[in-house]
Amino acid sequence: MDFDFTPQEQKFADEVERWLVENHDPVVMDPTRENFTQLADTPERRAFMKKLAAKGWLGMSWPKEYGGQEIPGVYEYILNEALARHAAPQIGKGVGIIGKTLIRHGSEKLKREFLPKVLAADVEFAVGYSEPNAGSDAANMQLKADKVPGGWNLNGQKMWTTSAHFADWYWVGARTDPDKPKHDGISLFLIPMNHAGLEVQSLPTVGKDTTNQVFFKDVFVPDDYLVGKRGQGFQMISEALDLERFTMFTLSPIAERTKVLVGWARTAQRDDKPVREDRDVRRVLANIVTDTAVAKALSTRFVCAAKAGSGKPPTVESSQYKLFTTTLSQRVCDEALDLMSVAGTIREGQDEAPLRGRFEGAYRATMNETVGGGGSEIQKNIIARRHLGLPKNF
Amino acid sequence: MDLQLDDEQRLIQDMTRGLLKEHCPRSVVRKAEDDAKGYPAGLWKQMAEAGLTGLLIPESYGGGAQSVLEAALVYEELGRALAPTPHFVSSVLSAGILLAAGSDAQKNEWLPRIARGDAIITVAWLEPDRGYGPEGVKLAAKAEGASFVLSGTKRHVNYAGAADRLIVLARTAAGIDLLLVDPSTPGLKLTHYLSASGEPHYRIDFTGARVPQSARIGAAGSGWETFSRVLTNDGLIPLAAYAIGGAAACLEDTVEYAKVRKQFDKPLGAFQALSHYMADASTRIDGGRVLVHEAAWNRAHGRSVARFAPMAKLFATNTYQDVTRTCAQIWGGVAFTIEYDTQLFFRRAKELQLSWWDVPYLEELVAADVLDR
Repeated sequence: MDFDFTPQEQKFADEVERWLVENHDPVVMDPTRENFTQLADTPERRAFMKKLAAKGWLGMSWPKEYGGQEIPGVYEYILNEALARHAAPQIGKGVGIIGKTLIRHGSEKLKREFLPKVLAADVEFAVGYSEPNAGSDAANMQLKADKVPGGWNLNGQKMWTTSAHFADWYWVGARTDPDKPKHDGISLFLIPMNHAGLEVQSLPTVGKDTTNQVFFKDVFVPDDYLVGKRGQGFQMISEALDLERFTMFTLSPIAERTKVLVGWARTAQRDDKPVREDRDVRRVLANIVTDTAVAKALSTRFVCAAKAGSGKPPTVESSQYKLFTTTLSQRVCDEALDLMSVAGTIREGQDEAPLRGRFEGAYRATMNETVGGGGSEIQKNIIARRHLGLPKNF
Repeated sequence: MDLQLDDEQRLIQDMTRGLLKEHCPRSVVRKAEDDAKGYPAGLWKQMAEAGLTGLLIPESYGGGAQSVLEAALVYEELGRALAPTPHFVSSVLSAGILLAAGSDAQKNEWLPRIARGDAIITVAWLEPDRGYGPEGVKLAAKAEGASFVLSGTKRHVNYAGAADRLIVLARTAAGIDLLLVDPSTPGLKLTHYLSASGEPHYRIDFTGARVPQSARIGAAGSGWETFSRVLTNDGLIPLAAYAIGGAAACLEDTVEYAKVRKQFDKPLGAFQALSHYMADASTRIDGGRVLVHEAAWNRAHGRSVARFAPMAKLFATNTYQDVTRTCAQIWGGVAFTIEYDTQLFFRRAKELQLSWWDVPYLEELVAADVLDR
C-alpha cells in the first residue's frame, strides 16, 4: 500500500507544477470558469494548448508509432489534475476519446489525417452523442445515416454539443442500421464542422458557457470518414469511456473550491466577530473537508484500479467516484452560500460580493455536474448491477 | 499510489477472518450481549494464540509490533463479525497509553500480559453529566502522603467486570493524571448496566479509594495529553475500520436478501428506489475504507493524523449508522425483530458513533485543524 506517487511520478508532477507556475496566464487560467476553462473559445487558450503540445504532454500514453510516449495513463491523470488545479484547460477529447479510438479502430487514412494534428493541438473536436430522445438512454440515438453511393447521407438532430460553435471536426454517432438491435445499429463518423448541411444553434446555459443543438440536413459523409466498422459505434463509444477514466472528471477544482471556502471562513467577519468561531460554520466545514478527503480516496481508488492493468476497466470505481464527487461539488457551493447568507446572492464578478461572487457563480456552474457525463441515477444503476450484482432495474 | 495489501497484510486479514468465522458466529455475538463479563473466553483465547492481543505491542514485550495499518485490517474483520472483545480498551488503548507514558516497571509488568491476553486493562474516563473534553474529567485524586485518594464517579467503563486494572483519568493538583488502579481496591464499587449495543458498561463509584502515587502513568499533569494523543493516533483509526467492517457486512447481507426476496413478482433489488440506496451505501463504504487506510498508512509512516484520524472515525461511524438504517428499510418489517441480524448492526452502529468522541467532538477536532492552525 502506498498513497504517494512513485519517485518518477512525483518528479513529473513537480515538473508540471513548476511549468504551470512559470507559464501562469490569468486570461487562460480562470478559476471562475469552474472546471470548464477548456470551453473558452479564445486565441489565448489555443496558444496555451500549443505550448502543452510543444512540451510533448499531449498523447503521452499513445503508442510510440503514433507519436506518443507509451507511458502509463497515470501521468495523464497527474497532468490533468495539475491543469485543473491551476484552472488551466485540460487535455481533452482529442487525445482521449477520439485519438484513442482512432488508434484502436481507425483506418490508416484517418490516423494519418488526424493523429498528428491532435498531438500538435491543431484541431478542435466536438462530440455528438446526445439527442432529444437519447439522453441517459444514449443508445437510443436516432440521427439517420442513409447509405448513398460513395458515402452516407445524415439527417436529424444532436443535443448538448458543447464545442460545436468553435470546433473544426464533429465526432458523431448515427444510426446506420435501424433494423438491428439498438446497440448494434450505430456507427461513428467524422464530419467537418463547417459542412453546409450542419446548422449550429446556441443554447445558453446558466453557467458561463453555451452549449448547442446541431441540426443535420442532407449532410453527406464519404465512406472513408466512417470510423472503424459499421454498426460498432456504440461499442467504440463505451470502450472510449473506459479508456479515458484517468482524465474524465478531475477532483482538483472541487478540492480547490473547498480550500477557497476554508480561506474565506478563516478571515471573514460577521457582527464584528470572526465567522470561524461560529459553531455551525465549524461543523459544516469539518464535514466538507472530510467529504473532500473521501472524494480524494475514491479518486485514488479508481486511479489504482486503472493502474492495476488487470484488463478490467475500472467502471464501478469510476461511477462511485463520479457519483460522490459531483454531489459533493454541488454541496460545497450550496453550503458556501448558506454560510455567506444573503451576501452570497450577489451576482458573480462584483466587488460587492464575498470572494467576488465565486460561489454564486459556482452554484450555477456546477448545476449540471450530477447530470452530464452520465447522471447520478445512471451511475447508481451501474454500481448496483456491476458491483453489487443486483438485477437490471429498468 | 497502490492500494494492494502486501503478503503479510493479506495473511493477517485472512487469518483474522478465518478465526472469527469459526469462533465468532452470530450465535456467539448474541450470547455475549448484556453479559456482565461481555466476551466469550474461547474467542479471546483464540485471538491471543493468533497473536492478535499483542498486535500493536513491541516484540520486546512479546507482541507482534504491527502498525495501525495492520490493526485497521484486523478491526475491519472484527467489525464484520461484530466480535465482542475487550481488545480495543486493553490491547489498543491501555497498551498504547502504557507504551507512550508508562514507567519501565509498569510496562514490564503489564505489556507482556496484555500481549498474551492474560490481563485486561480498561480505561475509566467519562463521568455522568460531563462531556468528552478535558473539562469533563472531574473525579478528584487528592494527594495524601504517598497516596492519592479518589472520590467521584466514572461511567461508560467498558469491560470493567473483567479488568485486572483500570486506567483512571483523575483530576490532581497538577491537572489530569492517569492512574493505574486495581478494581478490587477498597472504596471502589463497580455497577454493571446495559448499553444499546449490549457491550458490558460499568459505573464505578470511588469513595475514598486509596492508590499509591506510584500508580501514576507518566509525568504529573500529562494525563490528558497522553490519553488524547493515544486515542487520536492509535485508537480512532481501528474504530473507524471496525465501523467500515460492520457497515460492509450489514450491506452484504442486505444485498443478498434483495436478490431473493420478491414483491410485486420482482426481486427487491430490481426496484431502483432500493438498488440506489444500496449503490449509495456501497460508495460510502468503499470510499470510507480507503480514507481509513490512508489515515492508517500516514500514521504508519510517522506522519501526523491530527486531521485524518478524526475524519476517518467521523465519516466511518456516520456511514455505519446511515447504512444500517438504510439496510433496515430494505429488509422491511423483519429488521425490527430480534430474530434477524440487522438490529445487531443497527444498535452497535449508533453506540460506536457516540463513543470514543462523538460527532460534534470529532467535527471540532477537524475544524480546529482546518481553521485555527
